[in-house]
This record gives sequence, C-alpha cells and structure tokens, in this order.
Amino acid sequence: MNLKRIWILIKNEIFHGPKDVVLVMSIVMPVLLALFVNLAFGNIFSERAALGIYDTGDSQLIAMLESSESINLKIYTNEANLMSAVENGSVDMGIVIPADFNDIISSGTVNMQAYVWGEIPSKNLVIIGTVLTDTIYELSGAELPVNIETVALGDESIMPWSDRLLPLVVLMAIFFGGMMIPASSLINEKNRHTLEALNVSPASIGEIFTAKGTVGAILALFMGILTLIISGQLNSSFLSIVLIMALGAVMATEFGLLAGAYIKDMNTLFAFWKFGGLLLFGPAVVYMFPQMPQWIGYIFPTFYVIKPVIDLSVNGLGLGSIITNLTILVIIVIVFALVVSRVVSRLSTRALRLNG
Amino acid sequence: MNKSIIVENLTYRYGELVAVDHIDFEVEAGEILGFLGPNGAGKTTAVKMLTGQLHPHEGKAILLGYDVVKDTPKVKAQIGVCFEQPNLYEQMSAIDNLKLFAELFSVNDFNGFALLKRVGLAGREKDRVANYSKGMKQRLMVARSLVNRPQIIFLDEPTAGLDPVSSEAIDNIILEERERGATIFLTTHDMWEADKLCDRVAFINQGRLAALDAPRNLKQQYGKRSLIAEVASTSGKIEKKEIRMDSADTAGAVENLFSKEKVITIHSEEATLEDIFIKVTGRRLSE
Repeated sequence: MNLKRIWILIKNEIFHGPKDVVLVMSIVMPVLLALFVNLAFGNIFSERAALGIYDTGDSQLIAMLESSESINLKIYTNEANLMSAVENGSVDMGIVIPADFNDIISSGTVNMQAYVWGEIPSKNLVIIGTVLTDTIYELSGAELPVNIETVALGDESIMPWSDRLLPLVVLMAIFFGGMMIPASSLINEKNRHTLEALNVSPASIGEIFTAKGTVGAILALFMGILTLIISGQLNSSFLSIVLIMALGAVMATEFGLLAGAYIKDMNTLFAFWKFGGLLLFGPAVVYMFPQMPQWIGYIFPTFYVIKPVIDLSVNGLGLGSIITNLTILVIIVIVFALVVSRVVSRLSTRALRLNG
Repeated sequence: MNKSIIVENLTYRYGELVAVDHIDFEVEAGEILGFLGPNGAGKTTAVKMLTGQLHPHEGKAILLGYDVVKDTPKVKAQIGVCFEQPNLYEQMSAIDNLKLFAELFSVNDFNGFALLKRVGLAGREKDRVANYSKGMKQRLMVARSLVNRPQIIFLDEPTAGLDPVSSEAIDNIILEERERGATIFLTTHDMWEADKLCDRVAFINQGRLAALDAPRNLKQQYGKRSLIAEVASTSGKIEKKEIRMDSADTAGAVENLFSKEKVITIHSEEATLEDIFIKVTGRRLSE
C-alpha cells in the first residue's frame, strides 16, 4: 500500500468521481429524512424538557431548579393537577416534593417518586434526571445517592416517533453513503473500463479499493453525525458515538466494496439495495415497533452499530455499558475486512474479471 | 541485444478452455512485435498476463529482467498500455486524465501539453473527453500510455476503426517510440498495419503460437511472388495469367507471355500476411 497513491486516488474520487443520483441521495436523503422526522414528531422547534413540581413543603429545590436553563419548570398546587398534566403530556415528568425534603437530604439517601409521561422522549428523560440529580447534589453539598422511582402515566408502550425513527435515520445516513458510494464508483469504473486502466498503472487493486472505501466511510460518518445533530441527540458521549459510527461507516464501506466487486451494473445494485435494505435496516424496524420481540434485532450485523449509538445518545449510557456490543461490532468489521482483502487478492490475480 | 520480454511456457485457462497454451517467445529491446490472431485466439489473455493483470497458471513472463508475477509493481512502473476499448475518464479533461496517471506513475517533470501536442490534440487539452471523437480518444489513450516514458508499450488494436489521419498519427508515434528505444508489443488483426510497422510478427491461433518471424521471412517461407498479367484473347475477352517469380523458368515464361499474348496490364503480386496466416493456421485473421 502506497499512501501517496491512495491520496491521489481519493482526490480523484472526490473531484472527478461520479456526481450522480447516488451521491445526491447519499447526502440529501438522510438530511431530509432527519429533518422530516424531527419536524413532524419531535425535537426541532420543540420546547425544552418540562418538569412539573408539586411542593408539599417549602423546599429550596424549586428555587434552584427555576434557575436551570436546561428545563422548563412548572409548579402545581396539588398532586391531582400534577398527575393530570403528566398524563396529557403538558409536562414530561412530575415530582411531588415531600414536606420534610430538607430533612431527607441531610439523612443520606434521597428517595423520590416521579410521574412520567408515557411518550416522554428519551432525551428529555435523561435531561430531567441529570438536572434533578445535579441540583440535589448542589443543595446537599454532597454526592448523595438519589433514587428516582418512576411511575408511567398514559400509554407506557408508546414511544415518541422521533425516537422510534432515529435508528432508521442514522442507519440510512451511514449505510446509504457508506455502501452505495464505493459500490457505485467501482461499478462505474468497471463499466467504463477505467478500472482496467488503473490496474496497469502502479496503483494496486488494494489501493483503489482503499481510496474508494475511505471516501465512502468519511461521507457515511459525516452524514451519521449530521443526522444525530439534526435529531438533537449528540450529547456528551460525542467521542464514543463517533467511534461507533466510524466503525459502522467502515462496515458499510466493506459491504459496498463487496457489492461493487461482484455486481455488474447500477440497476442490479439498486435491486440489491432494495433487497439488502431489509437486512441492513432490520434492527431499525424492530426498534420502531416495541411490541416485536427485540431479540430479533440481534441477528442483524447493523444492530451492533445502531444499538450502541442509541444507548450512548438517546439512553445516555456510558461506554462501559455498551462494551459487549462494541466488541461484537469490532469483530464483525474485522471479519468483513478479511473478506474484502481476500476479494482484492483474487481480483489482483486471476479469479475475477474486472470488466463489468 | 537485450531481451525486453521473455515468455516461457505461458499458459492460462478459463475453466476447461486453454486460452493461452504453453507459448514461448522473446522480444528484443527496441523491437516492434506484432501479435496477430483472430478474435478469441488468446491475444488479450496473453497481454493481460504480460501486463500483470492476470497471473499465469503455468510458465512465466520476464519483462525488463523482472518476473511479472513476483515483481508486478516494478514491471507496471516501466510499461505503458493502450487498450482497444476506450477507457478514459470521460467527465475529466484530456489534460486531467494524463495528470492523474502521471501522478500515479510519480512522473515529476510531466508535460501533458507537450504530450497532447505530439498526438495531435493541441488546443483541445481542456475539453471534456466525453466531447472527443473516437479518433481523438484513441490518440489520448496512446498519449496516456506514454506518460511514464515506458520501456515497453503494449498497444491493443490502436488504430482499429480510425480515420486515416488518426491512424497515421498513431503509426508515427509508434515509430518515434521505437526510435526512442522502447519495445512495442502491437496486438492487431490488421495485417497491413503489422506488415508496415512490425520488425517481427507472431501468429497466435487457439492459444498457441503458430509462427513467429519477420514479415519478409514469413512471406518467403510460406508465400509466393507472382506476376499477374491481363491479356486480351483472340475473342477479345480479358484473361488473367499468373507467372511464379521464384521458379527457374520465370524469365522464359515472361518472354513467352510478351511474345505470344497481347498484354494489357502486368503487375507483381506478393503474398500478404493474411494469406500466410490462412496457410499456417487454416483460419482467417478477421474471423
């Protein structure tokens, strides 16, 4: 592998590569989908997470929460009104502060009951939980254990559509660009016989594949991050999310290179995409319908991309919580890298014809 | 002279079909070798093995002292290949096409404009290749095969289907490159082009080398030279008479012709490479 030649090929791919419907779809489609989902169901233009409070005593907690810029605080005068507000979605979460709250926080452990709207966006749940915990720490002056017991009001099984569709949007962003860009580029080069011309230059098939894969992976990563930003789900685990998405982008590129190596023309590629889409987006479909057994998602390779991303971004988990899925993802990426390398080796010698 | 190309026992199979069947030959440095054969004879497969695109199932090819399989990068760095089928980046300009390959070959002092002028494309350097005619594309492909000043140039049907001006331009470049010292491996089934340009020609048929020699030697060995005369018979009809030129009684036959017949036209006729190919292989080149 010669890095200089790979860079030359990457430049050529970027500046002179096909500017066709695949490129346009790779960039425009995920953005439009993310915008549509978030305009129609969720986070764009929506207000901040809303916390309702009924204070049975005179806690300093309310004054401190009022100064928080992360949430909208609404005060209720009785518990029935609070529960009603939670049930109809006026607030995402409602808590009743006991009269002896100030005494409780000095006792060492804080136990609270919170009413939660059945359709609360996961992001809002994470934000409110974090703000509450931080405020109680601040109030007590110590990092006390805070146990918040949640009681769902309304239909608990209803997950907001913005959350349900997020895996589909993110997978679409990563896999359409990551897979289709290198695949279509290879197929175009085969059909136009330019791959044959490159193959008699000092550029090896491995370098050509690496260059095309790099362009696809960078685009896939960029589009994945962009859709998360549009969806308002890029949080403090930014680096971990980028790491997972980068691995997902590499996986998408590996699929794309294999498709490009074997598929003869663009019509077949699109047909393959339609069929392969079922396999790629299977986990997103399973996630979209919580009534389905969620273990079905485990059988799809892309599950190990989207589950960690959702866990890190939406569910607010840390890197330690996703280590098993991350390990499986790394193994899948390595296995497909070996398969691609085997195909490159065969293309470089005798078994496969480069011409489409 | 140095050997630019040494081929030993080279063999390639597509499944049961033996496309190239244990061929051996050598090409001297600075020589133009014509590789002649009908479609499907194994020419392209042989060239793909010589240029490192396919690895032979048996035998080996040594180019400029390097084994093509073991030292593929070193071989590729010193060869230029011009394909029969246009395979240019059509959305790019001619100059950008050449620059891309010059960069891949790490040619530091590359002058694309001079090269394009040499192939008759001056003034059209920045045009998109998609707007070029077939002849212009072919000349650009020849130019691309020269960006690294190769020691061996493989040209696959470089003038097929071209207008006479483009054909002549390419023929001239082939001769100039030979003058520079490059070895030219010319794959063609155009016998006239091969006869005109090649120092030696190799006939390939069904994957095997049927003959390899200078065109003149092949003609002497397999062909016949004749005088063809058109004579007027007593009834006024025009008849053709043939006199073999290389027989012992040629002079007597000519004298006899002029003394006894009314000769209208007479000209010499020489066997073509096509005739010889048919004689050697039983097939036509254009099959």
